[in-house]
Amino acid sequence: MNLISGIDVTAGALNAQKTRLDIVAQNIANAQTTRGPDGLPYQRKTVSFETELLRQAGSPGNAASVQSVRVGSIQNDTTPGQRVYDPSHPDADSNGYVTMPNVNMAYEMVDMMTASRAYEANLSVVKNAKQMAMKALEIGK
Amino acid sequence: MVDPIFNSDNYQIARKLMDAAMLRQDAIASNIANAETPGYKRLDVASDFATQLRSSVEGTGATTDMASITPSLVKDTNTRSTRPDGNNVETDSELLAMNKNTVEYDYLTEVVSYNLKQLRMAVSGNPS
Repeated sequence: MNLISGIDVTAGALNAQKTRLDIVAQNIANAQTTRGPDGLPYQRKTVSFETELLRQAGSPGNAASVQSVRVGSIQNDTTPGQRVYDPSHPDADSNGYVTMPNVNMAYEMVDMMTASRAYEANLSVVKNAKQMAMKALEIGK
Repeated sequence: MVDPIFNSDNYQIARKLMDAAMLRQDAIASNIANAETPGYKRLDVASDFATQLRSSVEGTGATTDMASITPSLVKDTNTRSTRPDGNNVETDSELLAMNKNTVEYDYLTEVVSYNLKQLRMAVSGNPS
């Protein structure tokens, strides 16, 4: 038993949400990158989480288990990007069209809000767990 | 001599409820961490813990030995899911439950402390 209960679960979630925020930052930063290291327009990255089984808490018959999350994979979003007519652009093709990255600002902003709210929620769990541990240490004083 | 305080109902119940509060904090941490995990069902402290504890205090239940009652976690499949992925966690109600749980724990530590203080006062004769 941890002194600060549930801290391992929350730590996993904080880590996962932070990675998600990092990826959103990368997507927004590269919203106009028409040529990546491979010479192709930047492709939006998406994060998927997976469950991490920490411990079985209930009786064996009843499978209630404390689960944490971790980043499962970071994948490219392969939907094609918008094609913009701009013949003067250095990355324009022979018809004068430039393929822009498939980053959608609205999606990224919503993702960012969701991730930072989830991060805050997990942080407040840490705060409360710490307060409980401190109170437990004060017993008898 | 010291036994009556450590075996008093108040003290025993406070201890048991503190165990439950600690376990509930674990469950809430798991719920908030998995607020976006598809198919995840929220965890909670099994409700039979409270009923067993109550009936043991009242002396009506099958379990009269309070020490043998331990809280356990169960999956809450009764709360309806409002999302297509089957996840039934609602972050705000979890946060609310967490704050309530923390206050409850604070209160219980006070109860335990008070019991110990009483004992200390009896031993030393000093009401401090």
